[in-house]
Amino acid sequence: MGKKLYRQWPYILLVFFAFLFLSPFLIMLIGSFVKMRTVVGNPYLWLFQENLTLDNYRYIFANGRFIQWIANSLIITIIPVLSQMFFAAILGYIFAKKRFFAREFIFWVMMAVIMVPNQLLIIPRYIVFKNLEWINTYWPLIVPELWGVLGVFFVRQFMMTLPKELEEAAYMDGANDFTVFFKILLPLSKPVIATVGTFAFIGCWNDLLTPLIYTTSEEMYPLTVGLASMLTKEGNFGVEMAGSVISFIPTFLIFLFFQKYFVKGIALSGLK
Amino acid sequence: MKNFNFKKHWSRYGIIYLFLVPVLIHFCVFQLYPILLSFYLTFTDWPVIGEPKFVGLKNWMQFFSDRLAWKAIWNTVLFSLYYILPTMALGLLLALLIQTHKKGTGIFKGIYFLPVVTSFVVISGIWAWIFKGTEQGFVNMFLTAVGLEPQLFLSDSRQALMVLAGLSIFKVCGSTMIYYYAGLQSIPQEYYEAAKIDGANSWKTFWKITFPLLLPIHFYVAVITTIGSFQIFDSAFLLTSGGPDYATTTIVYYLYQEGFAGLRLGYASVLAYVLFFIILVISIIQRKFLDNELTYK
Repeated sequence: MGKKLYRQWPYILLVFFAFLFLSPFLIMLIGSFVKMRTVVGNPYLWLFQENLTLDNYRYIFANGRFIQWIANSLIITIIPVLSQMFFAAILGYIFAKKRFFAREFIFWVMMAVIMVPNQLLIIPRYIVFKNLEWINTYWPLIVPELWGVLGVFFVRQFMMTLPKELEEAAYMDGANDFTVFFKILLPLSKPVIATVGTFAFIGCWNDLLTPLIYTTSEEMYPLTVGLASMLTKEGNFGVEMAGSVISFIPTFLIFLFFQKYFVKGIALSGLK
Repeated sequence: MKNFNFKKHWSRYGIIYLFLVPVLIHFCVFQLYPILLSFYLTFTDWPVIGEPKFVGLKNWMQFFSDRLAWKAIWNTVLFSLYYILPTMALGLLLALLIQTHKKGTGIFKGIYFLPVVTSFVVISGIWAWIFKGTEQGFVNMFLTAVGLEPQLFLSDSRQALMVLAGLSIFKVCGSTMIYYYAGLQSIPQEYYEAAKIDGANSWKTFWKITFPLLLPIHFYVAVITTIGSFQIFDSAFLLTSGGPDYATTTIVYYLYQEGFAGLRLGYASVLAYVLFFIILVISIIQRKFLDNELTYK
């Protein structure tokens, strides 16, 4: 028996780490149902000691500002996600299958620019947005995110592995580029496009630095910046945690349903 | 006849005109032009209002004598030291555990990966409380329970950076795990069988076979975690605002402070280019080593 237990050590470690990794999330969840301004004691004991309440969530949903933040986050996430998926697909197709002047050169210039960290772009883009009078609108958060070169790269790599015969047969039958793309190549590329979408979603929904700089009034904040402002100003633990839970739910759902695409995406980015 | 040619041309290149050309314009306006503009800005003074004023090398000279800038670089290097090895080691350990225990590990993989998709804002909010510097803090409660002194954590200039590194380790090691897991899958089973025949125990097998064969993965993971660590900003902004006593003022936090709190966008551009150079050097080293790796094979 003792030996058997000893042999189970990897499993025990797995469970131990799982508890360790879940703890912050459980604390957040429990904290969101406890009404207190400052925190006292062990959150796992609150489950039994404190009166659990929905007041924190009521407070948040009675607060128009908060609803606005959620709506802002949705706007600046959904539009770029759809657009990035579309452009990754069509540009991946163009760079993988079409022949035209300077194709490789254009592609690798785009790829090289990935090296430039986003932090370098925020300042000069500020000038561009200021001249366009876009500061404190949705545009600086949406327009630069409409397509991403990494997504194009993923789809291109994938489509290059698809045999030429697929399209050639269709062209013989008189199909044009659009038919070949929408009817043949796009359906085959669904998994890799889903990967692009999940990454875009997490990137946009979680971004803090960009909206921190380009939004200046509270009603334009996305949820990340709004929560950050609560973190420093309000100092109400329960409300903070309830806000965090709400901000966490969409990422959790996306993760739950698209986990395999995340894993695939990470493996793909390793191929760079 | 000409009309016919146009039609042919359109059927071949229409999709490129419709989709690639707009993207190229977008690329020039929002990527290439800002990069060049940013380089020009390093030679100007620009307090957001009015026009940038050309000042030559003043900002660059200021950088070399700015002790806070060098402290920010040092803090970032220190952060990398706290962060890179634990992230790699923990990621590898988790991958090995999942590998050993094949059945029903999907849920564990999911749990370890969860922080990767969660925003810094959410994790920082929880972290602020777990590592609260008073006796009510979660970790301090355990410390006092076993008779240890409660720690200041985020309010202590020596500990704050470590607490931020801890947050990043927690957030990132799930993705390191995925890289290592993929690497483990690619090691041919014959190696392990041969080792078994030779009577090697699992400890020896790990150090003699698994660990060295994962070299490309070690290298790749080291590079991406290093690049990531040099861009650390969110947690320093949310939890410590660069303090206490500038102990968590990282390069990007300092850039943000100078640019958007101090309104010295010219000088902040210099800092951005410094960050860019550091990342570029790391990437070039990566390319070199990976190429060697390939020729060796």
